[in-house]
Amino acid sequence: MSDSSRSAWKDFVPGLAVFVIFLFVPSFLPRFHVYLLGLIFTTGLLAVSLNLVLGLGGMYQFHHAVFYGIGAYTVALVITKTALSPWIGFLLAPLVSALLSLAIGLICVRLSKLYFGMLQISLGSLVWAVVFRWYSFTGGDDGIHGISVPDIISSTSGAYYFSLVLTGLCLVVMQRIVNSPFGRSFQAVRDNPVRSEAVGINVKRVQLTGMVISGAFAGIAGSMFVVIEGSVFPELMFWTLSLEIIIMCLLGGWFTFLGPMLGAAIIVLLRTFVGIYTEYWTIILGIVLMLLILFLPQGVLGYFLEKFDRGGMKPVREEK
Amino acid sequence: MDFASNITIPALFQQTLVGLSRTTILFIVASGLSLILGVLRIPNVAHGSLYMIGAFIMYSVNLFFGGGQAGFWMAVLISPVAVALISLAVERGLFQHLYEREHLMLLLFTFSITLVFGDLVKMVWGSDYRCVDLPASFQGFFTIFGFPFPRYNLFLIIIGPVVAFGLWFLTNKTRIGKIARAAAVDREMVGAIGINVSLVFAAVFVIGCFLAGLGGALVAPTQNIRQGMDHAIIIEAFLIVIMGGLGNIWGALLGALIFGLTDSIGVLVLPQFAIVFPYVVVVIALFFRPKGLLKSTW
Amino acid sequence: MMLQVESLRKSFDGFAAVSDAQLGVKKGEVVAVIGPNGAGKTTLFNLITGQLKADGGRIIFKGQNLAGMSPYEICRRGISRSFQVVNIFSRLTVFENVRVAVMSYNKSTFNLFSKAKDTAVSETENILKSVGLSGKAGRISGSLSHGDQKVLEMAVALGNRPELLILDEPTAGMSPEETRNALELMKLLSRDRGITILFCEHDMELVFSIANRIMVMQHGRTIIQEAPDVVRNDSRVQEAYLGGSDEGICCDS
Repeated sequence: MSDSSRSAWKDFVPGLAVFVIFLFVPSFLPRFHVYLLGLIFTTGLLAVSLNLVLGLGGMYQFHHAVFYGIGAYTVALVITKTALSPWIGFLLAPLVSALLSLAIGLICVRLSKLYFGMLQISLGSLVWAVVFRWYSFTGGDDGIHGISVPDIISSTSGAYYFSLVLTGLCLVVMQRIVNSPFGRSFQAVRDNPVRSEAVGINVKRVQLTGMVISGAFAGIAGSMFVVIEGSVFPELMFWTLSLEIIIMCLLGGWFTFLGPMLGAAIIVLLRTFVGIYTEYWTIILGIVLMLLILFLPQGVLGYFLEKFDRGGMKPVREEK
Repeated sequence: MDFASNITIPALFQQTLVGLSRTTILFIVASGLSLILGVLRIPNVAHGSLYMIGAFIMYSVNLFFGGGQAGFWMAVLISPVAVALISLAVERGLFQHLYEREHLMLLLFTFSITLVFGDLVKMVWGSDYRCVDLPASFQGFFTIFGFPFPRYNLFLIIIGPVVAFGLWFLTNKTRIGKIARAAAVDREMVGAIGINVSLVFAAVFVIGCFLAGLGGALVAPTQNIRQGMDHAIIIEAFLIVIMGGLGNIWGALLGALIFGLTDSIGVLVLPQFAIVFPYVVVVIALFFRPKGLLKSTW
Repeated sequence: MMLQVESLRKSFDGFAAVSDAQLGVKKGEVVAVIGPNGAGKTTLFNLITGQLKADGGRIIFKGQNLAGMSPYEICRRGISRSFQVVNIFSRLTVFENVRVAVMSYNKSTFNLFSKAKDTAVSETENILKSVGLSGKAGRISGSLSHGDQKVLEMAVALGNRPELLILDEPTAGMSPEETRNALELMKLLSRDRGITILFCEHDMELVFSIANRIMVMQHGRTIIQEAPDVVRNDSRVQEAYLGGSDEGICCDS
C-alpha cells in the first residue's frame, strides 16, 4: 500500500510543482503576459478536450468549437439575460455543452469516420447559423460584449487564477479518465471497433460517452474565455476555429496527453507576437501548418518524443 | 416577427427566381468542389479562397478595362483562367506530392492554403470592400408579376444550365471526362492501362478550380467583395456536396437547388432566420441518407 | 442443447453464402465445422456472433433467439470468438489486448475513475499464462509473430470468460509445434475449464483428435453432423471433401 501511495506522490509532484510556479507568475510578469497565459490555458484546455475524442478515440470531431462556443454563450446569457448569480452560469456551461454533445452525438455516432465528421459539421453549422441570426437573444453577428464577470475574477490576475485553477482541475480529471478502464476501452474502440464489439463493448455508447465528456470540458473552456475576454461572438463556434483546434492537436502531437496544450500555446503565442509586427499573421500560420504536414506528421511533441525513443505507442496515423 | 404573412404567389415567384440565381453560383462552385472531391479525393477547403480570388480579380480586370461591356466580359473570361493558372501552380508545386496522404491531412493542408491565400488577398487588395458595377445592359429590372427582377439575376439563371450542360458534356462525352470518371472509381486501374494519372488529376483539379473562379467572377457584381467570403462560401459548398453525394455533379446541382431555394423562400416564412433553413434541410437529408441524396463516388 | 442453429440462410447480392445451415452444440462439447473453402463456415460463425444478420432461420443460445442482436449483446450472453484473419488491437500491448476483454466482462468499460493499470491485473495475467504469452505481455501486439498473434486471438476471446468459445481457424498459418500447443490449450479449456468449443479448421488431424462431433458444410448447407467416425465413413463427405485421403493440412486462404 505504501508503495503505490509513494508512486502516486511521484506522479503528482511534477504537476504540483508546475502549478505552484504558475501561481506566482502574476507577481513578476507584466499584465499583458498574464492575460496571455490565461488565454493559453483556456485554448489549451479546449485543445486537450478535443484530443480526448480525436486522439484517444480516433473520431473525426470536425466541429468541436460548437461545444466551446455554447459554453461561452451559456455563461454570457446567464449573466446578461437573467438575474441569476453568474456562478450558476459557470455551473451550467459544461452541462449545456454536454447536452449539446449528447444531442449531436446521438445523431452522428451511428456513422463512422468521415461521414460522422460531415454530419457533425452540418449540425454544428446549424447551431452557428441560429446563433448568428438571433439578434435579440444572442446578439447576432455582433455577439455580446462588456459582460460583467464577478468582481473576484474580473481583474487580469483574477481571471488568470480562475483559468489556472480550473485548467489544473480539469487536466487532473481528464488525465484520470484517460487512464481509466473507460480510457483504455475508448482506445480499443479506436484501434479495432469490430473486435471491441466482439468482446462485449457497446462501441456506440463508448463513443457517445467520450463525446459528452469532451464536450463538457470544451464548455468549461468556453466559460473561461468569457472571464478572460468579457465577450462572446459567433466566431467562437465557426468552422475555422474547429479546424484551428485540430491544428493545435496536430501541432503539439495528438497521441500525447499534453501535446495539444503545447500546440495551443504555440498558436496563441505565434498569433500574438507575430501580430505585433505585422497584420498578416494568418499567412504565417498557414505556412507553419503546411510545413508541419509536409515534414512533421506526428507533431512537435511527438517528434521530440520519438527522438528520445520514449513513445511507447507510435500509432500509424497515415492509413487509408 | 413576421411569420408567413408574405407568402403570396407573386412573392413566391420572385423569390424562386432569386433562389435560382443563387443556385447558379452555388452550383458552379459546388460542382468544382465535387469534381475534385470525387476524382482526387481531396476535400479542398481552399476552394472558397479561389472563389474569393476570382471575385477580386474580376473587380480588378473590370476596372482595368474601364468597366462597361468590355470590362465585364473580359473580367468574366480572364478571371477563371487566372484562378485556374494559380491552382495549376499549387497543384504541381504542392498537391501532387500529397495524394497518398490521409483525408484529414489533405483537408488541413488545403486549410493552410486558405489561410495563406486569405492574407495574400488582403496584401494585394487591402481590407476594404470592393464593388463591381454592371454594364448598362445588365443593370435595371425586368418586371415580372409586377415585381422588379434584376436583369443580371436572370442572366445567372440562364448561365446555370449552360454550365451544367457543359460539365455534363465534359464528363460524359469527352475522352478526358470518361478517364476522370474511371479514375474516380479506380485510380490504380487507370494507371495500369497506361494513362498518366498524374496529368488527369492535374486537369481535373484545374477545371474544378476554374469553376470556383468562375463562380467568384459571376457573383462579384451582386454583392460586396470582401474578406471572409471565402469562409462563408466554402461551408455552404461543402454542405451542398455532402448532401448531394460526394463526387456527384448532379448531386451538386440538386444540393444547390435545395440550398438556394430554401434560403430564398425562407425569407418569406421567417426573414430573420432565412439562412437557417438550408442548414436544417441538410441535417434532415443527411440524417436519412448519410452518404448523400444521390450516389457518391466514394 | 446449448446452441441450436436451424435452417440458417444468408445471401450477398444474390450469392447464397449460407443456404441451409443446421448445427447443434451441447454444453461441454467440442464441435468442429469442416468444409472446402467457400463452404460458408466463416459466414456461419459471423451469423452466430452477430457480425452479420441472417436472412432467415434461427439461432437459439441457452433458450434465447439471437436474431437481430448486435455482437456486443451476444458476447454478453456468453459467446466469445476469435477471428480467422488476426483481428487484435494491434497498437495495444499484448497485456492490454486481453485486459480490455476482461474489463468488458467485469463491466468496467464505463468506469471513469479507477486506474486502468490496477484493473483486472491478475485475471489478465492468468489468461496470458495459460496461453503461454506471459513473457511477451509488454510487447506491442502488432509486432508479434503470426503464430503468437493467433494465440493472442484466442487469449482475447478468453478474456470474456465465455461459456461457448467459437474459434475460426485457430491454427491457420501456425507451425506444427504451435499447432500442437494450440491443440493442448483447446483440450485444457474443454476438459479442465468446461468451456464448450465450436471451431472450424482445415487441419484434419487436429479436428479428428479433439472433436466430439463434426459438422460438414458444402455450398452453404450442412451435409451431416455426427461423431468423427461416422463422418469419416460417410460417402457424401468423402466425395465432397475428404477425397478419400485424410491428409494433414489443406492450403489456407
